[in-house]
Amino acid sequence: MRPQAIGAPVLQRLPRIYWALAALVLIGIASVPQFRTVSNLANVLDQSATLAILALGQAFVIAGGMIDLSVGQLVGLITVVACMLFQAFPDMSLLVVAGCLALAAMIGLINGELINRLRMSPLILTFGMLSVLQGLIFMFTDRSIGQVAPSIAFLANGRLLGIPVSLFLVALVAFAAWYGLQRSIFGWHLLAMGNSADSARKAGLNLYGLIRIAYLVSGLCAGLAALLVAGRLGTGFPNAGNGLELDAIVAVVLGGTPLKGGRVSVVGILGAVLFLGVLNNLLNLLQVPAFTQIVVKGLIVIAAILADRPGRLAQPA
Amino acid sequence: MHRYLKPVIAAAAIIGAFTTGASVAQDMDLTKKETYDQIMNWAKEPLDTSKYKKDGDLKIGLSAGYLSNAWINFTAQSVKYEASLHPEIKEVKVTDASFNPTKQAADIEDLLTSGVDAILFWPVDEKAILPALQKAHEKGVATINIGYNFMRDPAVTSNAYVNQWTYSEQVATEFAKSLNGKGKVFAMLPIAGSSAAVVQLAVLQDVLKNYPDMELISSEYGDWDRAKAKQLTENLLQRFPEIDGAFSPAGQMSMGIYEAFDEAGRLGELTLSPGDDYNGWTKLVAKEGKWGSVTSGLEVGREAVKQAVNILTGKPTTTAVVVPTRYLDPAEAAKLNEPDRPDDWFKTDLPKEFLPQ
Amino acid sequence: MSAVASPLPEGMRLPSLEKAAVWIVLAILLLLAGLTSDAFFKFNYLANLVRQAAPVGITAVGVTFVMLLRGVDLSVGAIVSMSAVVCALVMDGKAENLWLGIAAASACGAAIGLANGLIIAHGKVSAFIVTLGMSIVVYGLVQMGTGGTARGIVSPGFREAMNSRILGNTLPVLVVCLLAAVAVGIFLQSRTRFGRGVYLVGANPDAARLAGLPVARITVVAYIVSGLFAGLGGLALLARTGVSGTNPGAGMEFDVLAAVVLGGTTFAGGRGSVGGTFAGVMVLFIALNLANVAGLPFAAQLTIKGLIIIAASAAHSWIGSRGSGRSQE
Repeated sequence: MRPQAIGAPVLQRLPRIYWALAALVLIGIASVPQFRTVSNLANVLDQSATLAILALGQAFVIAGGMIDLSVGQLVGLITVVACMLFQAFPDMSLLVVAGCLALAAMIGLINGELINRLRMSPLILTFGMLSVLQGLIFMFTDRSIGQVAPSIAFLANGRLLGIPVSLFLVALVAFAAWYGLQRSIFGWHLLAMGNSADSARKAGLNLYGLIRIAYLVSGLCAGLAALLVAGRLGTGFPNAGNGLELDAIVAVVLGGTPLKGGRVSVVGILGAVLFLGVLNNLLNLLQVPAFTQIVVKGLIVIAAILADRPGRLAQPA
Repeated sequence: MHRYLKPVIAAAAIIGAFTTGASVAQDMDLTKKETYDQIMNWAKEPLDTSKYKKDGDLKIGLSAGYLSNAWINFTAQSVKYEASLHPEIKEVKVTDASFNPTKQAADIEDLLTSGVDAILFWPVDEKAILPALQKAHEKGVATINIGYNFMRDPAVTSNAYVNQWTYSEQVATEFAKSLNGKGKVFAMLPIAGSSAAVVQLAVLQDVLKNYPDMELISSEYGDWDRAKAKQLTENLLQRFPEIDGAFSPAGQMSMGIYEAFDEAGRLGELTLSPGDDYNGWTKLVAKEGKWGSVTSGLEVGREAVKQAVNILTGKPTTTAVVVPTRYLDPAEAAKLNEPDRPDDWFKTDLPKEFLPQ
Repeated sequence: MSAVASPLPEGMRLPSLEKAAVWIVLAILLLLAGLTSDAFFKFNYLANLVRQAAPVGITAVGVTFVMLLRGVDLSVGAIVSMSAVVCALVMDGKAENLWLGIAAASACGAAIGLANGLIIAHGKVSAFIVTLGMSIVVYGLVQMGTGGTARGIVSPGFREAMNSRILGNTLPVLVVCLLAAVAVGIFLQSRTRFGRGVYLVGANPDAARLAGLPVARITVVAYIVSGLFAGLGGLALLARTGVSGTNPGAGMEFDVLAAVVLGGTTFAGGRGSVGGTFAGVMVLFIALNLANVAGLPFAAQLTIKGLIIIAASAAHSWIGSRGSGRSQE
């Protein structure tokens, strides 16, 4: 079921999005001198870190054949709450971070519980949750509040030996996601559920438990992503998470994980996130007019999904 | 199964390890009139332009919080027009963050990468854009705010500014006068959470203090959207048997309010506040012969470019340029109206090739 | 499940509990609403509510077909915007351009639907992503085409006619339009080969293919229908509120999606109906109005909206599972 051929040529196993990424990078190198600079590369990595973590969390639910539309507003809520608390308790940042991550994980868990208990479509439940969370944000505040702790700002923007600090966090989360989804029994069961919930149930898998944990991870990742957003923006902006859920879903799917679940590639997701980051960067540097950029991005999403189609189904995943 | 979570929990602990204390910054209180008096004083302070002085060609970046709005669009066009009048400006690069502050931070980084000398910007959010502006500041790039609020921060070189307090106050005062200081009114505000919505509500509440017989029965967020304003008003009309007026500084939302009252057959009870110079609204003012306009300060786009040129060529200037707004009575406001133009349009003196295409 | 594949027309079968679920939810919600404010029992108010729902409702009729096919259409919000903007541009304030504008807007919607359908049917890729990408493309095209300012002017008479009331000044024309769209949808769904094909393909695409059904053609037509209805939804929006910016349909796809799912059409395909969608639209709009009429502040309204969507959907799936003994996905 899973890619085990460690010795197989790397290129063959590399998700297709990397070809698109390579093409994009080549165009960039050939056409824009500023693109080649190390600081630009570091910028792109910084800009992509939030999406990477959010997409990796989303991968857990999508691999199981579900979806989580609430993560964007969850990012907004945690950003606002975190910045408010950072400002109120400047000496207890560690506690605030732990509290915010716990809150995010709990909201994820609530999503999972409700899906289990109410037997609802995950899409409609998390869509409802999106609105609930947005309401909660605006109950807290109707404007930017609080201020991020310097350590979190450093996490989101800082450099260690010229390498963005956020990259370490992404690497850590990616490793955890890779292990959890592609190397553990849990991941195996989750993918089995994504392939066919009925068969998984008949095989005696604990679907409730799988759903619960998948959403918990998605929530937790949203919490982490929110800390990065807070670090980038320096403040708790109530609309900070608007639309992020769709970006995350696009990244997951472009990375070769189908929306119906049953298959997942953490490496592919990272490639897709980088692809989107480089695309944004390059469109800006190439001086493509703002409205044309939007059209190009949409077309590329469609083209990329078309390029990632047949044949892939036959490949083990 | 919980053992799968261990790596993630470990990650959380590592972030925690980075964490220390936080400094507390002083915020400007947008809901107090004194803040704006203070701003007007700051605006007059001289600005040291020597460190921004550049020789030769200039490259200007324009980072828009979002562009799909007629007012911002017209202002962006006037930025391009004014830039065309200055031969030393070789290029204007425009980015659109589509109301996403994280994208705007990335846009500004990209503008810096492509080597602009000055960045004009409409922030999605004033506070959320500061870390990105800080990077520009460190590179010696001038930053000029064209947004709703005055920004006072080392990272913001200058402001081209429309005093939102005065503007909203002109609207609110004329509104209260036209209602003879009494009645039940509601407020139609822009996007919840935007600084414009915050200021407008604060001003209205402040002005209403002088009119004890006026009651604010509801505040709605119409997102600068005619359709949304209409729907919200329809619901209010069901909720309240008596509504005497609507405070709505944005003309396009006023039109939605007007239509909702009209269709409910309750136009007779409606008094609208003055709107702005939105063409659909001035058409309505011309038709009704009442309510008036307060000019919205579209000139800020051109003023911002002039300010950028002053700063980059090392000419003396002040910390901010303030564009005044003016109340126009219904007769004057009606003159702004261009019946052959679309509703979604602003009265402007831009030459034809710079009108939105 | 197999009942939907029955050749009998919809109306001739007793509605199962599952099919009636959304109507039960609607009735309960209306009752609750009526207890909060007696306005909900007044004809005028209800007519007005249905009129507000017209743009979303008309669009939802079309989306029902792609959802029955196990697809989804996230591009409808952008199509609604495009249709409204294009229509006003073509009309250009001249009465003689009225029908030209309407035709152009409908054609735009159908063309985008055709593009969606061709890519999805022949590319065999995720409809979610394709239509999401398409929504970005369409939004960008509208911005490019207009420069960010909606420059169109509506023909005189168009909005006046659409916003008037007929039958002794009681029934708003837009309500008639919505009901007509629903009627056309029900006709397509139950009286045409296309409609039966949609159910069969949605219930089991492999079986449908083996049975010799033109799966690709049915898929393409379903997306054209979805695009076309979204175009008409855009016209309804234009009629209701005139020219209002270049993106008046922003985010509408999610309201539409919520309405269709509330109406009993699941992502698993093959189950659901246009009638249910209409009820779903009404559930959604009553929920929104209820929160607003109750005088809740903006923040609380958002939360309540979410809770009502969750509660209505949960109630619906509970009633449904009692009826068919099968839970929703």
